[in-house]
Amino acid sequence: MANETATIPDTLRAKAQEKHWPLDLVQQALGAGATAEQLIGYMDQGVSADQARQFLAAQGGAAAAVEPSPELKAKAEQAGWPLELVQRALSMGAAEEDLARYMDMGVTAEQAAQFMTGGGAGAPELDLSWMQVPTEWNTRARPTKHGLTLQGINIGKYGEVPDVWEYQTEMPRGAVPIAGVEGMGYSIYQKQEVWSDACAPLYEEAIQRRWRPATDVPWTSIEPLPDDLERAICQVCTHLSEKAQVEADVLGRWEPEISYGYHEVKLYLATVIFEDARAVEVFRKRALSNGGGLGLQAPGWSFRSVVDARNFSEMATIQFVLQDSLTLAQYAYGEKYARNAAEKYIFTRAMQDKARHIAYGITHLKYTLLHRTDRREEFHRYLDKGEGMLVMDDTKDSATREAFAIYFGGSRENIAEGLRLHDAMRRRGLEQYLARLKWATLGRDDRLHPGLRAFIGQ
Amino acid sequence: MPTFPSVEWFDTIKDIVNNDPAFRQLGTVDAVVGIKVEHKIFEVTFEAFECTKVREASENDLRDMDFWLEQSYDQWKDMLTNIREHGAADLSHTLNTIDLNLPEGFARSHDGYRRDAFYRFNQSIQDFFNASAKIDTQFAPMEAVTA
Repeated sequence: MANETATIPDTLRAKAQEKHWPLDLVQQALGAGATAEQLIGYMDQGVSADQARQFLAAQGGAAAAVEPSPELKAKAEQAGWPLELVQRALSMGAAEEDLARYMDMGVTAEQAAQFMTGGGAGAPELDLSWMQVPTEWNTRARPTKHGLTLQGINIGKYGEVPDVWEYQTEMPRGAVPIAGVEGMGYSIYQKQEVWSDACAPLYEEAIQRRWRPATDVPWTSIEPLPDDLERAICQVCTHLSEKAQVEADVLGRWEPEISYGYHEVKLYLATVIFEDARAVEVFRKRALSNGGGLGLQAPGWSFRSVVDARNFSEMATIQFVLQDSLTLAQYAYGEKYARNAAEKYIFTRAMQDKARHIAYGITHLKYTLLHRTDRREEFHRYLDKGEGMLVMDDTKDSATREAFAIYFGGSRENIAEGLRLHDAMRRRGLEQYLARLKWATLGRDDRLHPGLRAFIGQ
Repeated sequence: MPTFPSVEWFDTIKDIVNNDPAFRQLGTVDAVVGIKVEHKIFEVTFEAFECTKVREASENDLRDMDFWLEQSYDQWKDMLTNIREHGAADLSHTLNTIDLNLPEGFARSHDGYRRDAFYRFNQSIQDFFNASAKIDTQFAPMEAVTA
């Protein structure tokens, strides 16, 4: 029974007033054994006062017999539940639809009776209180042309993504918290730090547009190439494989930092990691499939700007917006100069994956700038640093540049033309990078690193 | 024998890909794509696993599309003839290759973000045009697209 004298802490009292829970109900709940933290959690989850009363009544209250509807009577008869049992359950506060659901689920009359009496001596004890957990019920997500998508299940409370997520555990968004669960050690609890409205559709797109290097790539279309050309494509593949591995490693470190309230972001990043793994795989396979092998490791200056990033948005902007813009240009040029159907296939599919990564990065940047205009200069500084490291790579990584040039030019003899094409590739990547930043409201034409500006003729 | 460019021609291609399980296996495509052939403009809408709509459009409509593909009529004819001859675009006639060959680009957009749909759904859009290898295309006279 409720303890009428239970003391209500100030934080709980304030929350109860905000959520329109009468104080007598709060006292009753405290008296029944709930903690203040649990009750605040229920209120934040949207549990109404009426739902709470019903829940408490079902736990121990007793009232006059309630007559079930004819439909429930019929269902009870079919399920073998005596009428008296149904009346008793209703009088204890159970809802008709809940009882009907239990019957449909195969809960026997004996189990129900045991539950209502708190379990009989010698009988297996059942705790079915979870069946009355006050989450939003009667949720019916419907599939669309795209199937049953993440966007499709974001309805009611389940679709409300808070600006700040208050739970440190792995509790799914929309579930009811319980006390005593250990924290997960997340460090990201603010929506603006990770969010993009495109996450859910990008996740679905990534899942639907997946491909399998082992069997989808027409590997037998690769024929022997002149030695210089094979060495060039192998060096290019070494670079692209290494770069994808770094991205996967970095993202793998950030995943556990993001709290569960933003599961769309966590899910989408999981697909990016998977796609990076696929890039590692497919470029390595290409290097080892035609008589060549791997080439030189990259100096990795630009890798450091993402590896060393101290906050998620810093990493995401440098990785997904700056570096991926240039990687996408590499894939696009790789597709153009592919020597066989296998390389054509590889670069086309890698291009599709990479464009999704950019879509996340640029929509996240725009979301953050929209909600935190004070961070604008901060992002410029991250990009200053990222671009500077990229220029370092340009000056140090002659292997990658020369390999691309031979691949594009077709031979070592034609490397001058190849270098011209390499610069054209860099120009295209940078122009698209600036166009994307402009879309995200972070115009940067005047601030681009001088070492990169040279490529676009400014 | 459908005539390129026309709504009838694009509708024919639409029906081919919508009945091709291989197109569905490429995954979802959500993009509104413009096709600009000289003065003629068409809008092709892709939604989920299929091409859902084709219509003739105007210059003003381009702003609302994710991107549009634009090249001269002769270049369109060259691309489609190559597809017809090889059953699909050969290595030098893919959409991306043509995009990089043209100084202004083949895929154009007023939007730095939506333009990337060209990359995200590249193979599906490529397969859409590759489906034209299955039909006998008649090309409209130049006056029909420049008027």
